[in-house]
Amino acid sequence: MIQALDLTKRYEDGHLALDHLNLSVQPGQIYALLGANGAGKTTTINLFFNFIEPTSGTATISGIDCTKNPLDAKRHAAYVSENVMLYGNFTARQNLDFFTKLAGRKDLKREEYYMTMREVGLPERAFEQRVKTFSKGMRQKLGIAIAILKQAEALLLDEPTSGLDPKAAADFIDLIVRLKTEGKAILMSTHDIFRAKEIADCVGIMKEGVLIMEKTNQDLAGEDLEKIYLKFMEVS
Amino acid sequence: MTGTIIRKEILENILSYRFPLFLIICVLLIVSAFYVNYIDYSKRLNDYNEQKRLSADAIAASRMWDVTSGSVALKAFRPPAPLSVVAYGFERSLPLYYEFQTDGFKAGETSVGDESILSILGRIDFVFILEMILSLIVLLFASDMVSGEKEMGTLRGTLSNSVPRHALLLGKLIGGSIAVWIPLLIAILLGMLLLDVSPYPLLTPPIPVNLLLILGSAFVFIFSYFTIGIAVSASTSRARTSLIAVFLTWIVLQLIIPKLTDVIASAVRPIRTETVVSMQKSLLLKSLDEERGKILGERYEHIFGAGAKISTEPGTPEERAQWDAFKKEVDERYKVRKARELAGIDEKYEKEKEAQRAIANSISLVSPSAAFSRLVTDLAGTGELAKLGYLDAVRRYSTTLQEQLYSHVDRTTLILPSGGTASMSSIDKMVDLHTLPAFTVSPQGAGEVFAADAGSLISLAFWLVGPFIVAFVRFLRYDVR
Repeated sequence: MIQALDLTKRYEDGHLALDHLNLSVQPGQIYALLGANGAGKTTTINLFFNFIEPTSGTATISGIDCTKNPLDAKRHAAYVSENVMLYGNFTARQNLDFFTKLAGRKDLKREEYYMTMREVGLPERAFEQRVKTFSKGMRQKLGIAIAILKQAEALLLDEPTSGLDPKAAADFIDLIVRLKTEGKAILMSTHDIFRAKEIADCVGIMKEGVLIMEKTNQDLAGEDLEKIYLKFMEVS
Repeated sequence: MTGTIIRKEILENILSYRFPLFLIICVLLIVSAFYVNYIDYSKRLNDYNEQKRLSADAIAASRMWDVTSGSVALKAFRPPAPLSVVAYGFERSLPLYYEFQTDGFKAGETSVGDESILSILGRIDFVFILEMILSLIVLLFASDMVSGEKEMGTLRGTLSNSVPRHALLLGKLIGGSIAVWIPLLIAILLGMLLLDVSPYPLLTPPIPVNLLLILGSAFVFIFSYFTIGIAVSASTSRARTSLIAVFLTWIVLQLIIPKLTDVIASAVRPIRTETVVSMQKSLLLKSLDEERGKILGERYEHIFGAGAKISTEPGTPEERAQWDAFKKEVDERYKVRKARELAGIDEKYEKEKEAQRAIANSISLVSPSAAFSRLVTDLAGTGELAKLGYLDAVRRYSTTLQEQLYSHVDRTTLILPSGGTASMSSIDKMVDLHTLPAFTVSPQGAGEVFAADAGSLISLAFWLVGPFIVAFVRFLRYDVR
């Protein structure tokens, strides 16, 4: 489970990036965080991975405090960013090998890497190809492959479909939905309102560090999420 | 965990375009430097053997008088240091020999004059390559290891796993250093292979041990530059900033500090030149000889009468006995005085030089390169210690020659009160020149080098540990966003 309790982040320059955020993502759920640039979506994910420390409040993954026990917490979470950055001179398999070993899985065989890459839809020819030749979509798929092999219960995605072509984005979303059905708790920040409504069990809208709206997919049934979003964005 | 990161760093470096480039540079530079310096060493060794043989032939064909009068000089040759193929040091600026005279010794020519104007750019040897080229490349390698990964985004990917930051940095340091050392070791091994197939005494003690110690020092030196690079990288958030910062750091540590040390030391503690000191000694000897000549001349006329003919057997036996006793007492007195006053000049000059050297050494220790140069050239037998060791051996040999040869020759100039001067020369014991001990200069052992270069070792240790700590402290707080 992914949980934020009164999570607050104020930077040294006084900027309040996150203000008492409360959210909870259960296993088998997708939580979509919407919001403009600078709304605090990435800050939230940064706090879960202890890239920054909160000013107050707690972030937990599978019940483990991400600030007090960051290394333990990170064992239970996988991260996919907007641009999955991999080592360009490594092949897809070498990247998988490195990141899964970092995640503590040292017993994987070459065939298991290949199987996962097939699973996420990477073409066979790409398995031993250097990643610097990959398109963004292929990189995102490899990012998901890393997350799958990590076998973490929680998945935190930071605008993962941004910049992908429609086909690649659709493939990617299919993968996310599949991971949800496997019981993963997924927190995804996104600008894609339509996809958010389509796949999320819960949608939150953030503005200037505050979660200003949170609705389940049942609440949103029959509602136009885009209109709601724009209405919240217009309110000063 | 650290092992995974080490393997990744090595693989990443090996797969990058920089690795083959670095390998080619290392092989080309190091192998050619070993080869060129080996050729030079062989030539100098032949010259040394030839000069020594010619000098021995000249001595064999001479009599004691030829040597003591200065028409044939006894010379102390220094053999070229075999490890000059690695660290050239003072090899060309040291005198090829010292020449002995009745009243001391003087330095012979050096081989600096044989070099072309291009030699002012510095001689290519392993030390030069490490200090001027590889240290910069290593810094550039290390400069993007943290900030570059931050910019690429891979640092976030890595740290999204349960990787402790200290393990990540340690892995980067070790893996990155190994990746740098692979091409270096390949080049060094090829260079040594080249030496091994040449008639070079590669396996003759103490060369293997000293060579290993030099390589160990080189490892510490390269590793210290690597940690400096990582410390800079962990202190900046952009690879470009890091690149500029490491370049400036290199200029200060590599070019400015070592070059400024001698200038600052000379300004703070100016000393006389060797030539001035040598002239002062000559003047002192001349003045003492004159003083002695006057005293003896006065007594000569007093005993034998004014205008007495100068001969080996003047006057009556009683007068001669009186003269001999007086002359012996004066000779002894002036011998002691001459030795004391010359030693005084030498001692004062040595103290001045030592003080200046201490200032220069202290300032230069701020730079790892200066510390490394000093240590490695001393281990190679071409540095400051070799220079001082040669001079010490010459001094000891000069004392031996004074005792065993020159003290048996008496050369007296009488300055007579009635006007005119007269010279008398005599030998109280004929010395067979073949019985004189041969001049030897033994290279300093590793223990002596480490004792003498404790400052350099401390400096290298500081540059190894200091940036390492800075890198850790900075990286533990590094903003990976």
